[in-house]
Amino acid sequence: MKGLFFLSIFLIGLNQVCAQEIDNDLLQIKKRMDSIKSYDAQIKLDVDISFINMPSKYGKVLYKQGETTKVTSEDFIMLPKRGLDLTLNEIFKYPFITVNRGEANHKGILCKVINLIPTSSKSDFSIATIFMDTKAKRIVKSEISTKMEGVFTTYLDYKNYADILPMKIEVEFAVNSVKIPLRFLGKETEVDRKALKQEGSKTGKIFLTLSEIKIVK
Amino acid sequence: MISLIRSEIYKISKQSKTLYALAAILIIEGFVIMSAYYQGAGIIDLLLDNLKDSFEFRGNLLNGNLIIYLILNSLWFHIPLILMIIISGFLTSEYKDKTLETVMLQPVSKLYFILSKYIVSIVFTLFIVLILAVTTFFISYWIFGYGDLVVYLDGLNFFKSDDAFYRLIYAFLSGSITMVFFSVVSLTLAVILKDATKTWIVSAIFLICSNLLLKIDFRNEVINELFFSKLTDSWQYFFYYEIPYSTIYFKNFMLLGYSILVMVIGVLIFKRRDIQG
Repeated sequence: MKGLFFLSIFLIGLNQVCAQEIDNDLLQIKKRMDSIKSYDAQIKLDVDISFINMPSKYGKVLYKQGETTKVTSEDFIMLPKRGLDLTLNEIFKYPFITVNRGEANHKGILCKVINLIPTSSKSDFSIATIFMDTKAKRIVKSEISTKMEGVFTTYLDYKNYADILPMKIEVEFAVNSVKIPLRFLGKETEVDRKALKQEGSKTGKIFLTLSEIKIVK
Repeated sequence: MISLIRSEIYKISKQSKTLYALAAILIIEGFVIMSAYYQGAGIIDLLLDNLKDSFEFRGNLLNGNLIIYLILNSLWFHIPLILMIIISGFLTSEYKDKTLETVMLQPVSKLYFILSKYIVSIVFTLFIVLILAVTTFFISYWIFGYGDLVVYLDGLNFFKSDDAFYRLIYAFLSGSITMVFFSVVSLTLAVILKDATKTWIVSAIFLICSNLLLKIDFRNEVINELFFSKLTDSWQYFFYYEIPYSTIYFKNFMLLGYSILVMVIGVLIFKRRDIQG
């Protein structure tokens, strides 16, 4: 009888955990983002990785509700695998639970911090930390630990208090040095393998600047 | 002097070796283009492999600019080797066919004769590099189109298409000075050795050693900066993200100095030597 009682308590507790709701502020932000039917903007891309020299690249970013964000450019461009999901569609693709982690200061803004833990094995991230400006109803920072592609930290800067989309996005990630096929080498045909091994993974950054943003609600 | 130059140009235009040189250049271009066509995507994949985890790529890096860069790299060995073989033949064939003796029986100055050989060799070298550049640009853009250029030099350097175009042109111009140096050396070797086979072998060894010495650090700043083999790579400097113009000017200026020095040595030896096949 006693065992049955503890089992009942355990099952009720388990049910409570499973039924944990998604943070209300996050839902509010998602609702706000869902109000965007489409948007397009000019985009400027700058790469900051120690072993890559690349001039600023320009393109156009296009989003339509129900579709993935598209970036087009006449040049060769490198886009971060995370950081362009401004409407949070990728995060909300599979179910997850949220855990409140309290508050933290980010660039002078007191933010609500939550962890997102996926409940589906299909989700491509293992955990995410979201910093929300609950007053402005928008995300200012996110750290997403993906299962296959490492950790992406995204900082979002907005021009005005009421802006729904950021003007500047900074995406930080770990990146390994390049492997060099010998035939492709130019002047320096020798490869310092020791140095390459020691270098290991480095932090890379990509800066996205949006302008001429046109939002259709 | 001008009539001697004209006569040398006429001889070259009538010789089959000129056609061989042009054919060799087109064959090299063909091989590079074919290998790029079939394996180029794989090379780019391998180059960007480690970045694939963090990035998605938009655009085509296997384009005309990359192919031109790959063909440009034949300036390391293939093109100078062909030039050295052909140009040394300008003189060794005259020794072999004894036409040199016939010419020297005429009222022709030995100085002007050998100078005209050097001048025509330089003109021929510039012509071959020009043909290489023109055909390379034309074929590469025609088949592969335009696009950004990626080069591994002190890291991965990306250049916009129009920027890459100018860098490639300047690289061909700078590379032509290096080619002139090797051509002048081969003619001087022909003056010294007279025999075609010996000259080819020594020219090839000179080229190989020059390429090997380029990579050796002599642990002496003066030698590292002034030794001739260290000056033959100026054309590659156009693919550093920030072009070191002063280094390029210095290297080309010094290499022109070396070319003149080698030419003077060749002229002096030819003048003092009896003409015998």
